[in-house]
Amino acid sequence: MTQAVEAVRQQARDVFASIGLPGKRNEDWKYSDLSRLQTALGENWQQTTEVSGVDAETVKQAAIPGLDAYRAVFVNGHFQPDNSVMPEGVSLLSLKTLVEEQPGVASDLLLPHPDAPLYNGLNALNSATAADGLALCIADQIQLDKPLYVLHLGKADAAGKTAAMRHGLMLGKFAEATLIEHFVGLDEEPGLTSVVNYSHLKEGSSLKHYRIQQENLKQFHVGRVDVRQAEDSSYRLHSVEIGCALSRADIVVSLEGAGASCELNGLFVSGGRQHVDHHTRVDHVAPHCSSRENYRSVLDGRARAVFNGKIVVHKGAIKTDSAQSNANLLLSKNAEIDTKPELEIYNDDVKCAHGATVGQLDENQLFYLKSRGLSEDEARQVLTFAFADEVLTGIDSKAVRRFIEFAAFAKLPNLTDLEGLLG
Amino acid sequence: MLKIENLHASVDGKKILKGINLEVGAGQVHAIMGPNGSGKSTLSNVIAGRDGYEITAGSVTYHGKNLLEMSPEERAWEGVFLAFQYPVEIPGVNNVYLLKAGVNAKRKHMGLPELDAMDFMHIVKEKAALVELDQSFLSRGVNEGFSGGEKKRNEIFQMAVLEPSLAILDETDSGLDIDALRIVANGVNKLRSPERSIVMVTHYQRLLDYIEPDVVHVLVDGKVLKSGDKSLALELEERGYDWVREEVAA
Repeated sequence: MTQAVEAVRQQARDVFASIGLPGKRNEDWKYSDLSRLQTALGENWQQTTEVSGVDAETVKQAAIPGLDAYRAVFVNGHFQPDNSVMPEGVSLLSLKTLVEEQPGVASDLLLPHPDAPLYNGLNALNSATAADGLALCIADQIQLDKPLYVLHLGKADAAGKTAAMRHGLMLGKFAEATLIEHFVGLDEEPGLTSVVNYSHLKEGSSLKHYRIQQENLKQFHVGRVDVRQAEDSSYRLHSVEIGCALSRADIVVSLEGAGASCELNGLFVSGGRQHVDHHTRVDHVAPHCSSRENYRSVLDGRARAVFNGKIVVHKGAIKTDSAQSNANLLLSKNAEIDTKPELEIYNDDVKCAHGATVGQLDENQLFYLKSRGLSEDEARQVLTFAFADEVLTGIDSKAVRRFIEFAAFAKLPNLTDLEGLLG
Repeated sequence: MLKIENLHASVDGKKILKGINLEVGAGQVHAIMGPNGSGKSTLSNVIAGRDGYEITAGSVTYHGKNLLEMSPEERAWEGVFLAFQYPVEIPGVNNVYLLKAGVNAKRKHMGLPELDAMDFMHIVKEKAALVELDQSFLSRGVNEGFSGGEKKRNEIFQMAVLEPSLAILDETDSGLDIDALRIVANGVNKLRSPERSIVMVTHYQRLLDYIEPDVVHVLVDGKVLKSGDKSLALELEERGYDWVREEVAA
């Protein structure tokens, strides 16, 4: 490892040593408890795992079927060139290669940012330990002709419990790309997935980002998505939480150029004792920017979800247009949601709307469906599905949408005609 | 045939139906008229099986079976259909899915094989034409963004597809302009058959100009006070409801 990279890694270790794991003392973490990380994973929880390959059949089983995309496969945080199909004509390197070939760039990507919003100790630990990742640079005017599908596979490994990855995306002026991140557990052993994703969107560029967390039910997942947007750029996220014992994501978007827009969509489908927590933070720095947030959760059993959406409208950000909505469906009386919109507005010329709802299925809708001959179970499932599916309507890849729908609603056995339901 | 005997029902302890007696034979069309608060919608909802009504006495049998013991979906499978006064919007559940699920659930109950998608779409298109419902409505969410008139037409369209043997039309005419009323009434008339009973609950005589009833009942204060032929409806239109009360009291 080069000196520059090692210096950054050491800097990150120092940050972690000083701020430690996030816990109840941090306002942003008061509902999510990482203290059980050590008990669940053991003493070597922060030790990264060694690479252990998978065969093509395993990849095929885990992957989204029918998806026409470039593919980058990771196992326990290590890039697998053999199972990957990379695009040509764009600059795409694994972090490992980047560290060797362009240590300056790698150091920049790995640099800890302890003053950034929602920054926490695990982000620092990610800087210190991230074994691999992707560095994608798309030149001005280039449109990636197919989505880049990044499949993260988690596999039990006695040597270490943490899979740490760090990705960096740079979209040039008017460049366009679609990134699909998919996290899958190959077994039922607990571990920690730590992934940090930095994206820089230059003028007029556009990034569609899908994030599908489908890890095993004992897994811990802590992610950070950090997006900086120049003028007239657009960013659209669909983040879907299905697996894990505890999954936390911090989505941080900074609208730095006039006319930039972002859209953050989130769907949680949780049961048992699953815990899922998204904190989003959108900074309206420049004027004439718009942000949209639409989060929904379906919670069963003793599941607990947290949604915290903070919008900061800076002084110069006139003509800001921002809307946030969070709707939650509690299927069990023991499920719990903590939802909190936060607005900080420092100028008068803005339009900001937010709303949150928590509820059960609508009795009038249930009766209507039953009066047409649907059984109680089927009526409940149809309404649950329709509630959640609303978040997915903006997904323009049918393969991705169908995959999410089937993965998220596998627990609803009476929905035999999903295709028909969706029309 | 539908047979209601001495039916008493309450909502939150308040007595609404106070001893309804009614018999509707196969192929007949009955109109139930009455002022606001007389119990018309309660009667419709009790027949269809909506929660929230306490049946304190009496019985409702259909084809000799006790309807009150059945869940709403079982009633649907037995051929009961309620056209709602206020059809609810269900975004995200498309019309065709709902109808296909409903039709196939009923067929399964009757021991018939499920309809395949092709056959089903053929039926759906034919029935949509019956109430002049544009094809584009079929793939939309149930009643999602429909106007008042479109919602009522959609109810009759659903009735056409589900082919009930007993249809309760709860104030299907309310909120319709004259053109929409004509379309809905034409749809209902085309669905009249010797096997199908229709109960129209309405406020106004107007509907009966388009759908001619065999029997008209006057429901006041939770009781059927008077029954007669269609001329009774005209008399109600002219004289209001008070004379019926007075006649019964006398």
